[in-house]
Amino acid sequence: MSSLVKCPHCGLRPREEFTIRGEVAAPRPDAGADEAVWFDHVYLRDNPRGENREYWHHSGGCRRWLVLSRNTLTHETSDVVDASTLKAEGRA
Amino acid sequence: MRDYLLENRSPFLDVAAADKGASIRLAPVTGGFVFHVLGDAKSDEAALKKALAKIAQELGADVRKSAPNQWFWVGDADVSSDQRAEIQSALSSQFALCDQTHGRVRMVLSGASSRTVLAKGTMVDLSADLFAIGQSAMTQIGHIGAMITRVEDDSFELIVLRSFAGSLWDELQHMATEFNKPASMS
Ligand SMILES: [Zn+2]
Repeated sequence: MSSLVKCPHCGLRPREEFTIRGEVAAPRPDAGADEAVWFDHVYLRDNPRGENREYWHHSGGCRRWLVLSRNTLTHETSDVVDASTLKAEGRA
Repeated sequence: MRDYLLENRSPFLDVAAADKGASIRLAPVTGGFVFHVLGDAKSDEAALKKALAKIAQELGADVRKSAPNQWFWVGDADVSSDQRAEIQSALSSQFALCDQTHGRVRMVLSGASSRTVLAKGTMVDLSADLFAIGQSAMTQIGHIGAMITRVEDDSFELIVLRSFAGSLWDELQHMATEFNKPASMS
């Protein structure tokens, strides 16, 4: 149990308790947006070097969806928040 | 309300009586109830406990937080589905009760080294000064999801999904073996 993630609800937990869903994509395009825009949103990922925001599910704990900032270079994680905060930010 | 009855049977029907002399003891909790309480986004634990104490004081208000706005309400009395329906209708619409008595199994692990045994499976720090009596954590023991609650000084109650109860039981016995050697071996 090496990597630890600080769940905002449960505290420090091993990575094994989480399921990773992937990058937090930019806000959803409008329903009527061009097919190419939707294709980009659904399938194309940037795979950035450095800070990246990802959805993590605390499946072995509180079962909440979280948004976690992870550095893809160092694997350091910072700033873990409940995914509902994205809604408050108007980004969901 | 559901129109059929769920039969609550212990998955540990043929468990041998716990060895009183064993250093680590594992025992099923038979009877009682486990209700999953789902609150809305603004619900809070103090309000829930207050409401439960008012509506069903005889059942106690042992609520264990499993997630934001979610709890397991646990007690040792048997509750009929009629009584559960009465409690639900007396509760504010902020909270919904879901009977999980048939689906979640309780067992108690106790003994001076019970923390050491649990530490083999979970990384939640159960130290006496960090994990107070009455405190709960939803976590995994090995790969099995379980809620750990410290019920006494060296005593922990575990709540696990019924179909995993046998596996967890065997795993805990195995993890406790080093503390429960037969007298001839010590
Ligand atoms: Zn959590």
